[in-house]
Amino acid sequence: MSETLTLPAPIITEKQGRFSRWWHGRSRFARQTISLIVILLLLAFAWEGLKFIGGDPWRPANNPFGIEHNPPFRFKIASDLNLPHLWKIFEAFGRESRRNGPPLIQVLAGAAVFTFREAFLGFAIGGLLGFSLGAIFAHSRVLERGFMPYVVASQTVPILAIAPMVIIWLKAGWLSVAIIAAYLTFFPVTINTLRGLRSVEGTAVELMHSYAASTWTMMWKLRFPAALPLIFTALKISATASVVGAIIGELPSGIRDGLGGAILNFNSYYISGPERLWATILITAFVGIFFYLLVSLVEYLILRNRRRPE
Amino acid sequence: MPPTVSIQNVSKVFNPGETNQVLALKEINLDILPGEFVSIIGPSGCGKSTLLRLIGDLIPPSSGAVLVNGKPAPQARLDQDYGMVFQAATLYEWRTVSKNVQLPLELQSVPKAERESRAREMLALVELSGFENHHPWQLSGGMQQRVAIARALVMRPQLLLMDEPFGALDEMTRERMNQELHTIWEQTNKTAVFITHSIAEAVFLSTRVVVMSVRPGRITQVIDIDLPRHRDVDTRETTRYFELVNLVREALRRAEAGL
Repeated sequence: MSETLTLPAPIITEKQGRFSRWWHGRSRFARQTISLIVILLLLAFAWEGLKFIGGDPWRPANNPFGIEHNPPFRFKIASDLNLPHLWKIFEAFGRESRRNGPPLIQVLAGAAVFTFREAFLGFAIGGLLGFSLGAIFAHSRVLERGFMPYVVASQTVPILAIAPMVIIWLKAGWLSVAIIAAYLTFFPVTINTLRGLRSVEGTAVELMHSYAASTWTMMWKLRFPAALPLIFTALKISATASVVGAIIGELPSGIRDGLGGAILNFNSYYISGPERLWATILITAFVGIFFYLLVSLVEYLILRNRRRPE
Repeated sequence: MPPTVSIQNVSKVFNPGETNQVLALKEINLDILPGEFVSIIGPSGCGKSTLLRLIGDLIPPSSGAVLVNGKPAPQARLDQDYGMVFQAATLYEWRTVSKNVQLPLELQSVPKAERESRAREMLALVELSGFENHHPWQLSGGMQQRVAIARALVMRPQLLLMDEPFGALDEMTRERMNQELHTIWEQTNKTAVFITHSIAEAVFLSTRVVVMSVRPGRITQVIDIDLPRHRDVDTRETTRYFELVNLVREALRRAEAGL
């Protein structure tokens, strides 16, 4: 009795070119890394290409290639003010953010950590609240029908209208920002938890009934594990949303230590140094991507045994 | 000997009082004795799965009584008097093979060491030793169904309820599984109620075949399978086996014609 499973070898036919054969010979990780870098380079190329065709004149002193170039067109969007050169943005990281201050990268890194902590706390609160609501609704149609309209309504009210109220109630600070982030994150978790907990097949439930399992046992041995893939999908949405929530929460709170404060600050000095706002945007995006990857990693660790071979 | 399963004048109506009311089962009477292997066969929609779910107390009857081991069916379910196998293996994909088999023990708070040894024992019985740490999706359909059988047996119930467990398998695998199930039944002296669409399977496995008809679901004929208790590949080639297959086929035809 030995039925072993072997994955089919990659199909390589004569028709495929040399590149294709080389590409499929790489490991999955290598392919992902290569495509990541290639796409990044293409984006950078498009950015600078636009500036080359329709930006402000290139001066030898102001670009690393030392070229003098007068673009044939003048697109407003590609001006140095609207779309600074990429090297300007990277240069800005190393320069001091204000007179005699620390370099911008240090300021932004500190702000990123600060905002990430708020976002993480908000994500945790929102995730827990979202899961609890979903679990309650999954077990009671009455409560679902009664409360769901308000849950949906809560998401149509702009966070900008809610944020000042939360700050008045809780006093401006860490916690109020986290609550605002939580407000933005619980909804997808509620919806997907509800859907996931209810998605269990009929016979899987009957099996539990045949064991005379309680609702509690059914929840933790069957419904919850079955719902996990959907819950993680929601958590990935929430992870990025919580960063947005934390940044928005910082604005009316008057908190200057986070990325929200940095965005506000460099926004007001945009005319004199647009690259600093762009640098802040890059860091903000990085925080979001980092959080997303963090949740993806946990998801991978928990769900890796479920993956079916393709 | 008191019957293991006693179905007394049971009827089942779905959606009573509504426009889509259906009389699924009408006045079913059936006693199943300890050690019997009873197959229930009938056209689609004749309520044979419903009948099995009534025995397992997964749904209540509309009228009549179901006794399992002399107790009302709900009590028997609480006492874990039966093990159930469905058409889909219904393994939890996040659990390993061994953990799937251990599930009913886990719910009864059996200590870990005992759980593991009993799961190993059951997996050996269904010839899946060495697959303890595999995940369900790494197994073929037939192997998954064997895991489900091991899981049904792990509580050592006297009664096995099976709802078309081999319905989704190909003919060759199905015959092999029939042989294995027969061997397990022969060795363990269990009582079995087996729902099937396959005449050959019903005759090969059973001591009795119950034929049902559709609309309303009722028992039209009960055929004793007087083959020797021990059965193997040769059994399928004996004259008596063919006669019995024909007998069941004719009974089914009559049931479908509504006679």
